[in-house]
Amino acid sequence: MYFEDMPEPGRSRLLNHPMPDMVETPCVEGLPLGKRRIALITTAGLHDYRDAPFVPGRSEYRTIPSSMDMADVITSHPSTNIDRIGILRDLDTVFPINRLREMEAEGAIGTVASNHYSFLGSTPPDNFEGLIGEIAAAMRADRVDGIVLAPV
Amino acid sequence: MCGLAHYLEREGLPTVAIALIPRHAELMRPPRVLSVPFELGRPFGAPEMPKFQRAVMDHALGLLERTDGPVLETFPRRPNEHGASAVWSPPIEKASDIAIGEESAFVSALKAEIAAIQPACESWVAGGGRRLDRISGRTSPEIVDLMLALAQDPSIESPMEGFPIELAAKFAADDLKHAYYQAGLSQPGAVTDVGLDDWFYNDTLAGKLMFALCATLLKSEDEKVRGFASHAFVPSHQRENVPEI
Repeated sequence: MYFEDMPEPGRSRLLNHPMPDMVETPCVEGLPLGKRRIALITTAGLHDYRDAPFVPGRSEYRTIPSSMDMADVITSHPSTNIDRIGILRDLDTVFPINRLREMEAEGAIGTVASNHYSFLGSTPPDNFEGLIGEIAAAMRADRVDGIVLAPV
Repeated sequence: MCGLAHYLEREGLPTVAIALIPRHAELMRPPRVLSVPFELGRPFGAPEMPKFQRAVMDHALGLLERTDGPVLETFPRRPNEHGASAVWSPPIEKASDIAIGEESAFVSALKAEIAAIQPACESWVAGGGRRLDRISGRTSPEIVDLMLALAQDPSIESPMEGFPIELAAKFAADDLKHAYYQAGLSQPGAVTDVGLDDWFYNDTLAGKLMFALCATLLKSEDEKVRGFASHAFVPSHQRENVPEI
């Protein structure tokens, strides 16, 4: 469903969801794209089906290794308004790992990161702030220097 | 999503965020954003359209080299995915009108309905389709028993340690719904998420159970449970059909 087709009052509630007042963040410089190592971050609540499901409002994340069998990925995102057909038919609709692999093979990017990260959307960003140091350290150890963040 | 972009960039990691609701990105102003005019739940456009997904990814990653932020660009087009596809039909006939109050008859009919969708579910999996019905770790008949018990008595204990009852019920309910969606998607023809919802909620007994569960939890004395129930079991476009909402 397109956002503009969402019935009221859900549409207005989502549109006017309180947003924190963020100070502007300067852009970090980096290498040309063809030399970068790219990671994905999703807020689709994706995880291995053997992992515990996400709990709304809790500060947590899951790691999705590039090496895992992507057929084992499920979502425990609680929203009833986001499309499920896309993820059922093609994970790349929300988590485009195959597109990144193609770009790596073509030399359009340097490499694909070893690990990617999943959060549950519809959670106040403040809840994630305490986790960022840990994730950033893991990404630096993985030599990541480019991140694509995708919501649902 | 935009908050995460701020936090990670402050850690020295270059980011580009996709935005499905442009206003949120305009307010949050992360370093680099590509706003996309796609359906909620589809940040890269549409399934089985790799060229289109790649175009979105090329655009997004192209922004990563920009340092003149905050950068906010909009992807210029929507995917044209359905074309001239065949008409979709559900995998089972419309359910007969059995009231949940007729407990044994309803349970028998619902379990028969679940058995009836199994061949379509198996066909979906055999064809390489993804299984999303694995959140709660319960079988469909177990899920029915849990949902029915909760619909009749909201004070029952959670069967999942560490998860409140309403969340355990939500995981179970989503497993049940996903099994129906998997069965639905095994059918030829194009169907939208709203089309699948229309079938599930209005033409199946499982959908009727979902409405009943939602209605029961909306009467909870616990404000948190009521708030959760108001959006967790029934999508916005079906909410007017919840009894006594």
